[in-house]
Amino acid sequence: MIKNYLKVALKVLGRRKFFTFISLFAISVTLLVLLVATALLDNVFATGAPEVHADRMLGVYRMTMKGPENTWTSPVGYAFLDRYVRPMAKLPSVERVTITTAAESVVSYLNGRKIQSSMRRTDGEFWRVLAFDFVEGEPFTTVDDENGRRVAVISETTRQRFFDGRPAVGKTLEADGQSFRVVGVVRDVPLLRYSSSADLWVPITTAKSSGYKEGWSGNFSALILARSPADLPQIKAEFQSILRGAEKQIPDPKSFKTLIAGADTLFEGAARLFVPGPPVVDPAIQLRAALLALMLGFMLLPTINLVNINLSRILDRASEIGVRRAFGASSRTLIGQFLIENLVLTLIGAGVGLALAAVVLRIFNASGLIEHAGLQINARVFLYGLAIALFFGLLSGVYPAWRMSKLHPVQALRGRSA
Amino acid sequence: MIRHLLKLVWNRKRSNALIILEICASFLVVFVVATLGLFFLDNYRRPLGFEWKNVWNVRVGIPHTGSGPGDGGSPEQAALFERLLREVRSFGAVEAAAGTAVTPFDQGGFGGSWTIDGKNVEMAIDEVTAGFADVMGLKMVAGRWFQEADSGLAWKPIVIDRELARAVYGTADPVGRPFGKPEPNERQYRVIGVVSDFRKSGELMPNDNFMFRLTDLRAPDVRTPSNLLVRVRPGTSPEFEEALVKHMQAVAPDWSFEVLPLAQVRATSSRFFLTPLIVAGTVAFFLLLMVGLGLIGVLWQNLLQRTREIGLRRAAGASRAAVHRQVLLEQMVVTSLGILLGTLLVVQIPVLDLIGVLSNRVFASGLLFAMVTMYLISILCTLYPSTLAARVQPAEALRYE
Repeated sequence: MIKNYLKVALKVLGRRKFFTFISLFAISVTLLVLLVATALLDNVFATGAPEVHADRMLGVYRMTMKGPENTWTSPVGYAFLDRYVRPMAKLPSVERVTITTAAESVVSYLNGRKIQSSMRRTDGEFWRVLAFDFVEGEPFTTVDDENGRRVAVISETTRQRFFDGRPAVGKTLEADGQSFRVVGVVRDVPLLRYSSSADLWVPITTAKSSGYKEGWSGNFSALILARSPADLPQIKAEFQSILRGAEKQIPDPKSFKTLIAGADTLFEGAARLFVPGPPVVDPAIQLRAALLALMLGFMLLPTINLVNINLSRILDRASEIGVRRAFGASSRTLIGQFLIENLVLTLIGAGVGLALAAVVLRIFNASGLIEHAGLQINARVFLYGLAIALFFGLLSGVYPAWRMSKLHPVQALRGRSA
Repeated sequence: MIRHLLKLVWNRKRSNALIILEICASFLVVFVVATLGLFFLDNYRRPLGFEWKNVWNVRVGIPHTGSGPGDGGSPEQAALFERLLREVRSFGAVEAAAGTAVTPFDQGGFGGSWTIDGKNVEMAIDEVTAGFADVMGLKMVAGRWFQEADSGLAWKPIVIDRELARAVYGTADPVGRPFGKPEPNERQYRVIGVVSDFRKSGELMPNDNFMFRLTDLRAPDVRTPSNLLVRVRPGTSPEFEEALVKHMQAVAPDWSFEVLPLAQVRATSSRFFLTPLIVAGTVAFFLLLMVGLGLIGVLWQNLLQRTREIGLRRAAGASRAAVHRQVLLEQMVVTSLGILLGTLLVVQIPVLDLIGVLSNRVFASGLLFAMVTMYLISILCTLYPSTLAARVQPAEALRYE
């Protein structure tokens, strides 16, 4: 039966080539846009080098300190993380904890040339929480960090800029007025990997002054690697109870009474960025709802368009439908048949959209709009795309199919539709 | 005539309803993108109020200041900053230098909301040292700019822009007048001068109400500026940048320095605003192309179904042009209905005051642009199907069935 439907579907597509072309154009452009957006989101939130353990990684990215008159939201200070989050490594469900600064822009001058890089100061554990792909040398260690050694891990792009791509381990480079000995070179990290990306990683203790050690707000975040994804809820709860305890020790208790923060997944961390205040609804749910609304809003116009085209196509086939009705096909059969036809069309369109998306992403990556973007269609994006295509196919097929099934057989046989 | 057309449209209300909906949705898409574009264009035409060429911004990274609660910096840091300013000015290539809390063109910044005479006035605020007006080439329209000696006053001097002066004082001369009411234990603000404009966020953003406060590097409670602006002589080579940074690094080894010409900050800032517009514009273009092709198909199909009706008209003596006109006018009615629906939705924005920064002019131009675009698309899409319809031979049409 299904085979028959497929046959009919393909025949119909071949019959009215202009209509097929407009439908395919509409479907593929719609899915192209959605696929590119999906690839972008995937690049930020899903597992990917070096955040290969994203499924069991939590981060303390930002903290809001709140008092009767004041609210202060910023990345977290080293003192807070060192005192309250780093000891969480001792929990049985936690494998490791690392502390890192946000990537900051630093400048170097090389033979009269100016080089801008983004630099992260971090610790030895960083390299074991995240899986960087070393092309040369190795990471610096906790011992390096404790002793304030001026060592650096650099990205391939940095190696290209400073050393013309030649082996760099053992050489020194200057950044932000300090010089560092290169100990390792890693593959470039997409800029959107916001808990790991940089061009240059050096130990925290190489900071120019020890001022960073004070203060609960600053420029740091911590990453917590759990032993398994199942442990995440328990670790989150544990962090909240630690936070309640920390509230009693706030350095400036007159201005600030409560702390709002979370051990967040990448997605929750981003959501917290948009919902700074004390959340009424879980920020992650809000962000998810916003993204869904955006997607549906975008799909509105293409859907109406496709419904319109589909209706026209169907009415064109009024006599065929009349025959089928006259020979006893039920409404349900006709709806089913038409939905399948529409899904076939949508999936073909999705295929075209996928191919176009691959091209657009390649252009996007080459454009350097987002550094080392490396956007791609991986299996996950492909599956999302498939799901979106099916949804789109159903959405745009249901109403025309229903209209079609309501055609009166006699009128339909006469070729009249209205 | 119109009544007749409306009747024709009403007769096919089901298929026309969907077309109206489609035109309404497209209209909204065009309106949003066009209004955003016109908003930028409208802002771009206005004077910026400062000169950014040959100005470099040096971001000064001071270990742990101003980045947290109760962390306002120290007099030692302020003194070091003052020394930096002095040393920088001593270079021959430097024309002027000043400290500022906010980098021009940068999107971050301070803001304030004051209640003045019962009115709520929002403004952007910057804290700058006295040299700022020289570095940025500000134009005074009334009163004067800050002087070093202003720090000793019993009140706090401020300079405001015309926009803020108008918002607070109307047409009265603001110079010498108190500004708002002081907080307990704070000194009174008093206006000493008015600058023409200061559009800190750049050409693409609207005129903000703007207030300058004086940073007195010798005051005990001073917040050390986080940026040092330098106006260099035209034609200064980029190599000077390295020498400048090396020198500052030697004066303040614990601090970090990053030089960015304002031209570069400006480019980044424009990209920040224009990239979404370009992306939205491209997507909208393809959506419209999709809608256009869809309309051609749907109209074609609709007319095919009306072959007999058209044939009858032709047989009764209607010319091809008359058929053409009928099809076109019918489509215009449908389009107008879609646009009307869209307009009714869109006018909620000013009625409910949803977007404050949108001026009436930009709003109206956006509306007009969207209308014209939709009519054009509609006409373009009707041409081919209506030509086909007009070609219908009466005999052929009547034979149908």
